[in-house]
Amino acid sequence: MIGLVLYLLVGVGLLVILWVLARRERAPVEGCGRQFVEARQALRTLQLGLLPDNLIKRIFDREDFRYVMATSPGEIGELFLQERKRISLMWLRRVRCEIRNLMQFHLNYSRLHAKLSLLTEIRLALDFTLLLLACRALRMLLYMRGPYGAGAMVSVLTAAAGRVCASSEKSLAFLNPPALESIRRDSAGDGATI
Amino acid sequence: MSAPAKHVDVLAAADDLRRRTLAGMAQPLERLIYLASTRDYNTGLYYHHGLALRFSEESACEALADCHREAFEELVDASLEQLVHELEAYLESTRVAPNDFIVAWKGLEPYRVAIPVGIDSLSSELVFSNLKVALAILEARLTARTKPGASRHPSPVQ
Repeated sequence: MIGLVLYLLVGVGLLVILWVLARRERAPVEGCGRQFVEARQALRTLQLGLLPDNLIKRIFDREDFRYVMATSPGEIGELFLQERKRISLMWLRRVRCEIRNLMQFHLNYSRLHAKLSLLTEIRLALDFTLLLLACRALRMLLYMRGPYGAGAMVSVLTAAAGRVCASSEKSLAFLNPPALESIRRDSAGDGATI
Repeated sequence: MSAPAKHVDVLAAADDLRRRTLAGMAQPLERLIYLASTRDYNTGLYYHHGLALRFSEESACEALADCHREAFEELVDASLEQLVHELEAYLESTRVAPNDFIVAWKGLEPYRVAIPVGIDSLSSELVFSNLKVALAILEARLTARTKPGASRHPSPVQ
């Protein structure tokens, strides 16, 4: 009887080990291609979709506000402010989400590289911290004062986001087509094809 | 057809489209609605008979898609004041009773299906939001201008 219980315990133990190993296989491998592609997507979304000057100018432009207030009844003014607040909060949520994606990438990336410039890493960490704090502060300002009471904070956030994007661009430069083109040229001499 | 030759064909088709069909549509909103109407709802592909005859169906499709994106980008960059003017001009060009137009656009929001594919959701939400406010401004103006301008037709949207 004791032998049977022991065999059962060993069997259960083996099953648990198998389950743990199976779960580990499903976890993403640090530094795998998917992380680079996701980081690249986050960067592109920030640079092309969320941080272009014309888009930010449109969302926070005071001219629209002045126009509505000067030409329309009060309820349309309220509708306009409500809509702009909704859009600016949506913009902020998206920026924050993409910044967090980039931050996650940099955290994993720094673990993979032994030759890191301490100064660059500190600067990047400060920029990310500043960005996330600016996101929180801007969110509060947008809720309390609306989209037209947060102009300075929007500038701080976009400037910091621009710096982070520039740093990330350097880290992901090897994924750019010209880099691949140079690899292709280099490999041509050996008869290898990419 | 090689990729560069196809690209040249698409550019030529887009240029032709701008010079002929779109030349009469000064407002981006008008162009956006027109170009969206050339897109098949089921396949997402654009079709323009004349353009497909002159170039290829594929080039015509890409040229229409390019012009559609272009019109949308112009709308994203437009100020609210410009958008109100555009909406007013579009309303005049449709020759529909103003009240019917306002009721249909407020209820059905047809501009939501007129967006090119692959556009960032924030840009499209900004345009939808601006159009919503522009419609409210236009409605207030129409109400202030004339009361007996109400339509004799039943409302298309309940």
